[in-house]
Amino acid sequence: MIFPQPLQALVESLCRFPGIGPKTAQRMAFFLLGLSREEVVGIARAMVEAKDKLRFCSSCGCLTEEEPCRYCSDQSRIQNVLCVVQEPRDVFVLERTGQYRGLYHVLHGALSPLDGIGPEELRLPLLFKRISRQGITEVIIATNPNVEGDATAAYLARMIKPMGVKVTRIAFGLPVGGDLEYADDLTLSRALEGRREM
Amino acid sequence: MADRTFKTDALVLLSRPLGEADRLITLLTWERGKISAVARGARKTKSKLAAGVDLFTYGQYILYQGRGLATITGQQVKEHFQYFRGDVALYPFGLYLAELTGKAISGEEPCRPVCHLLLEGWRLLGEDLDRELLCRAFELKLADLLGYRPNLNGCFLCGSPETAWFNQAHGSLTCKQCGGGGVRVAPDTVALAVRLLEAPLRQVRLLRALSRQKEELAGLTGSFLKYHLEIDSLRSLRFFRD
Repeated sequence: MIFPQPLQALVESLCRFPGIGPKTAQRMAFFLLGLSREEVVGIARAMVEAKDKLRFCSSCGCLTEEEPCRYCSDQSRIQNVLCVVQEPRDVFVLERTGQYRGLYHVLHGALSPLDGIGPEELRLPLLFKRISRQGITEVIIATNPNVEGDATAAYLARMIKPMGVKVTRIAFGLPVGGDLEYADDLTLSRALEGRREM
Repeated sequence: MADRTFKTDALVLLSRPLGEADRLITLLTWERGKISAVARGARKTKSKLAAGVDLFTYGQYILYQGRGLATITGQQVKEHFQYFRGDVALYPFGLYLAELTGKAISGEEPCRPVCHLLLEGWRLLGEDLDRELLCRAFELKLADLLGYRPNLNGCFLCGSPETAWFNQAHGSLTCKQCGGGGVRVAPDTVALAVRLLEAPLRQVRLLRALSRQKEELAGLTGSFLKYHLEIDSLRSLRFFRD
């Protein structure tokens, strides 16, 4: 062991973060050691508090401190439109746009049989219950535009449409700032399909 | 030093998120068999690789083989098989063929005929045909390509054409007199299995089967694959049941 035991333990702990290898973990560890004790305690406390205080909203499945979450309890939001997303972090990404004012429902995954994720592993019964009980008139499916996300969207559409609810899928197209010549065929064809009148 | 960059046609059998923004891909390549490769940054919206590294993609890939996993440095999509994404009834069939092929091919071994078989299987799944029958034909042909061709021409003990059982261990049929156990298959199912094994895969379009025949065929191919290729409990099968 090159490092003293406490430093080695810190490096190994930091290595558990996604995308952090041993080198980066060492840099982070030395950065932490360079901070004052108060600053390190502040970081540690923030991590523990986030872990202790945050839970999933029993209604929408979003990360929240209070129950129900601020999106579910906010009566100024549009109550009959529901946006279905894969992960809790997707809610914050959509909120950042400031364009959506309806409710959310987090599935906590997407259909992926090869990973052992079937319909039972997703928060689907609660979704169907919310649609029927809360008078939802439109469900926007905002799962990721990959095979698993698209299959989940197709599955949801098949299950929800018979309930007499409008089902829509977020549009696909070219990223802002991208060049047309670098776009792949599938994205371009979907962008053409989803064109709109100006 | 040998050239570490190579170009190959390939089918994406599996695509999983890796790290912050990468994808770990399992490719069935024309030149080198089944290989795993990393597509760096493929989950970013502006990635050049994103569209070509999703499951159910047929394309040409440029790979760099370092000391560890290969890295995808470029791709050109040839076919996307969009119908697997948009039709939840088709999705498990495409997935099943991919998973079955991935399990049957153990590693880096040239397997062009298997690549062509999977490509044709995925293409045919988009047509209006009996998809269960297509899966059975695919299973028989895959086993055949890997050197495990079942013997469906009469009892392997006495030669009688009046067979009643399929013995998975011997990969052969047996008649009532010889017995021997295994999976029960009626003569019309055996005739159908022979047709599926010998005719081109696209001929499945012309075939029809009774539900009893389909059950017997599933028993025949399932037991055969399990015994010889040790393929059992595929995860995609669970999706069929769901």
